[in-house]
Order: sequence, then structure tokens, then C-alpha cells
Amino acid sequence: MAKNKVRKTFLEPLGKNNPVFVQILGICSTLAVTNKLQNTMVMTLGVLFTTALSSWTISLMRNHIPSRIRMMVETMVIATFVIIVDIVLKAFYPEMWKQLGPYVGLIITNCIVMGRVEAFALQNKPMLSLVDGLASGLGYAYVLLAIAFVRELLGTGSLWGYRILGSWWTNWSIMIMPPGGFFVLAILIWIIRETIMKEASHA
Amino acid sequence: MSVQKTFYKDHIYPLLFMFLITFFCILLTAGIHLATQDRANANELSFTRKAVLDAAGITYVNTTAGIEEAYLKRVEEADGYFTTSGSDGKRFIIPLEGPGLWGTISIMVGFEEDLQTFTGVAIVSQNETPGLGARIEEPWFTDQFRGKRPPFTLVEEGTATASNEVDAITGATRTSEYFRNLANQAADAAKRIVRGE
Amino acid sequence: MHDALLPLSVFFASIFTSNILLTNYLGTCSFLSVSKEMKTSLGLGVAVIFVMATTTPLNWLVYEYLLLPFGLEYLRFIVFIIVIAAFVQLTEMAIERYSEPLYQSLGIFLPLITVNCAILGVSLFMVIREYSFFTSFVFGLGSGIGWFVAIIAMAGIRVKLKNAKVVPALEGPGITLIIAGFMAMAFMGFSGMIAVS
Repeated sequence: MAKNKVRKTFLEPLGKNNPVFVQILGICSTLAVTNKLQNTMVMTLGVLFTTALSSWTISLMRNHIPSRIRMMVETMVIATFVIIVDIVLKAFYPEMWKQLGPYVGLIITNCIVMGRVEAFALQNKPMLSLVDGLASGLGYAYVLLAIAFVRELLGTGSLWGYRILGSWWTNWSIMIMPPGGFFVLAILIWIIRETIMKEASHA
Repeated sequence: MSVQKTFYKDHIYPLLFMFLITFFCILLTAGIHLATQDRANANELSFTRKAVLDAAGITYVNTTAGIEEAYLKRVEEADGYFTTSGSDGKRFIIPLEGPGLWGTISIMVGFEEDLQTFTGVAIVSQNETPGLGARIEEPWFTDQFRGKRPPFTLVEEGTATASNEVDAITGATRTSEYFRNLANQAADAAKRIVRGE
Repeated sequence: MHDALLPLSVFFASIFTSNILLTNYLGTCSFLSVSKEMKTSLGLGVAVIFVMATTTPLNWLVYEYLLLPFGLEYLRFIVFIIVIAAFVQLTEMAIERYSEPLYQSLGIFLPLITVNCAILGVSLFMVIREYSFFTSFVFGLGSGIGWFVAIIAMAGIRVKLKNAKVVPALEGPGITLIIAGFMAMAFMGFSGMIAVS
């Protein structure tokens, strides 16, 4: 019975309740870096780490947090984990740290992290909250990686910095510029809603 | 008696809780910061050294150790600039700063002995728009300057032919222009720093 | 010459050529949901301008006089958010007490703003680009106005959309994002407008 609940908690954010294309959350801080697959990978790992651990930590304390300062405490915890990501990046992956700039810090305001904490972690047990945080982070990650895949491939003809398409390919420069991010996300939402969501409502 | 208890619950306890949480959070972050600080500083130093090596056109193993080895072996520090000597003659590397679109662009420019021909350009720091202006850091952009002499003119990306033409970055015209201005000042700056002209 | 003009060029750039929302993607969440109605967009937009223009220089002061001298830059994420949240809370209380009509049209949006990534983002950019106090104020003001312009324009367009047929799967966020993409393209056209030598 408990195992079923874990399974359900894990699968929901991946599909039916996906933070990005269902709840349309948390786009800001990562859309800016989706023009390169490598940067997106690092960013989404950061969000994953933060969401999972913040949910877990808040859930541990959920019965002790005074309601008045609830949001402040949540923000404090989330900010702490984000700072840890920032510090670790700076020490072990400095080139990436320079490229991501302020966008790592913006994970704090990423609506997904706060959203999961408020909607799930406050009412559920720590281990379950950890699973929910992990799943939400994963659900977020694969959507953004898909966007980055399209943007980098069409925009520069390469993936992860490695040239894929030959010289016959003219770069769709618009893909790596801001409008490209908006368009690709919109088209992705379109495709997903047309295909998967329709199936779900028929089932 | 119950008023006191409510006062505690409504005001004192939240304050205490907040204080405790803040304390632990700061403790945790400070701890991790201190644990990684040396490494982070080493990375900074390595980064600057890497820029000097790139500008001089020296090859090296792209690890902290590799950079340190190549740097200590080949580079000599002088007053405000660097020199390297080798089979291809003496080279001069000067640091240079100038305005970019969003802040200062800081680079290392390497010259042949004539202080006119570029041996390479490397970005030390920049704050340009990520994904657009920030692409000046990409190798294809900086490699263009190798072996060329100023004054440089910008052309559409992918169309540079003449020996003083360089590709601009599509969508980052302003940053490209700022960079070109900086590069064009480099030779005079080099003569000033090295020869005191 | 360049230094004196920096605040001016930053002001124009943050509205047009490097719009905080259309170029830097910040503040998209509330942008997508609130832009349905013109009235709420106006209220939120003005609130954003106010908060950005005040918290950015405020954070500058905190960074310059509290964090830097003690080597605590890595805590800026926590500190900035606290400053923003505290400021917003105080402002909301003040407005609620002193002006009921202002509270109805503006004050109710304030809590929404604390988690608006754009507010924190602007402060973080300010640190990275090493702006002066005055420039950071101008940057905050300009970015707020830029966000305001974007959301007003989007609200205006969506009002017209109510009577148009949209592909069902694109209704809501989908079509809004596509419009945002076109707006971003249009704003990119501004980049040739201002030339600062």
C-alpha cells in the first residue's frame, strides 16, 4: 500500500501533473540557458537537487514551523540549498559557473521549488516529499532538456558542443536567441497537449 | 497566564525559530564555502593563467595542474605584462579592459615581437548577454584574431575573407563592435605598456 | 565620457534591447497568468516598477556596506531575498494603513511580487555587472518599466484574442508564449537604435 503511494507520487509529476507543461511553472530561470544542452543539464540538476532536498527538509520540520513565518522559513531553506549549488559549481565547475551567471541564484524564485514545498511537503512525510521533489525535478528536467535539444541542434548544428549536422545545415539563429526559447516551449506544449493529454482524456 | 502563553506562541517562538533556522542555514553555507574556498581561488588563478597561455598561443593540458605546469615553464611576468619565449620567438601578452554592452570586457592579447601581429586573444571576464554577446568567449570567435593585425573590421558571421576581417556574432552586433574597438586599441596599448611609448 | 553616459544607455537598454522579460526570460510565470486582463496587468506592472526601482539600490547598499566588507558575498542570495521580502511586507502594511484605494489597486499585488524572479534577478545582475549606486537605481527602474511595457502589450493583445479562434491545444499558455516570442523578435529590432560610442 505504501509502495503504491510512492509509485504514484513519483509518476505524477513526470506526466499528468508535470510542472512545466501542465502547471506552467518555473520557466523563467531555465529558459534562458536552454540554448545550450550542457548548461541546461547543469541547471536542471541544480533544480532537482534543490527541490528534492528543500521538500525533504521542510517536511521534516512541517509540524514545528509557525504559520506566520512559513514563507520566510521556506525561502531560507531553499536559498540555502541554492547557495550550496552555487558554491559547489564555483569550486568544481568554474567555466560552467561563469556561463550560468545569476541564473543559478534564480532557482530560489523558481516557482516549482516553492510550489512543491507548499503543495506537498507541508502535508506529507519526509521520504514521500523527497520522492515528490525528485520527481518534480525530473519532470522539469526532461522537458527543458527536450527544449535545449531542439534549440542547440537547430541553432548551432551541434549538441553538447559537438558538431552533429554537416556544413549543409544553415543555422537557425533565431533558435539560440530569446524568441526561440518562447517558440520552442509553445510548440512543445502544443504537441504534448494534442497527443498525450488527448489520450489521457479518452482513456 | 494564558495571555503569556499566547504571547510566547505568537511572538517569541516564531522569532526563536527563525533565528535558529537562519543560524543553521548560515552555518551550513559558511561551512561549505570555507571548505571549497581554496579550490575556488585556485580556479580563479588558473583561469587568468589560462587566458595568458591562450593569448600566447601555447598549448597545454586543460587541467589545473596542466595549466600551472605550462605557465610556470613558459611564461615570465614583467611589469604589467607577460612574455613567453620559445622556438617561435618572443611573445608579449598584455591585459586590456574596455567597455562592453553591459559592463567591462577584460581580455588578454598576445603579440608577436612586432607588437602588431596578434598571436591570440583570450577573455578574462565579461558580462555580456548570455547566449548572445557572451559568445565572444567561444573559441571560434577568439581564434579568428590569431595571426592577424589590427585595425579589424567586422563582417557578417561566416563571411570573413580579407586578413583584417573578423566575423561578428549574429544577434550580438553591439557586443561585437565593443570587442572590435577593444581589439583595435590593443596594439597601441601594447606599445605603451611594453615600450613606454 | 562613457562612464557618464552609462546610466542613460542602461536605462534604454533595460527597457528595449535587453528587456528583462523578453530577452532575459525573467518574470515569465506571473506574466503568463496575469496578462489575461488589462486591469490586473496595470496594477501588477506598476507594483513591479515600484519594487524593482527601490529594492535594487537598497540591495546595492546592503551588498556594498554589509556583505563585501565581511567577505560574505556568497550569502547574497539569502540576504537579497530577505531584503526584498521585508521591503514588500513593510510597503504592503504601509499602503494598507494609509490609503485604501491605493491598496486595492496596487497593494494586493505586492505579495505576488516577492517570488517574481525578475526582482531578485535584477539585483543579481546588478552585482555581476558591478553597477554604481545611481546606475543600479536606473537599472531597476528601467527593468521595471520594460516588464511593465511587455505585460501591458501582452494584455492588450490577449484582449483582442478573446474573440479570435485559437487552436485548442494552444489556448492559454501556448498562444501567450508564441505571442511573447514575436514580441521578443520585435524588441530585438531595437538594438540598432541607440549608439553609444
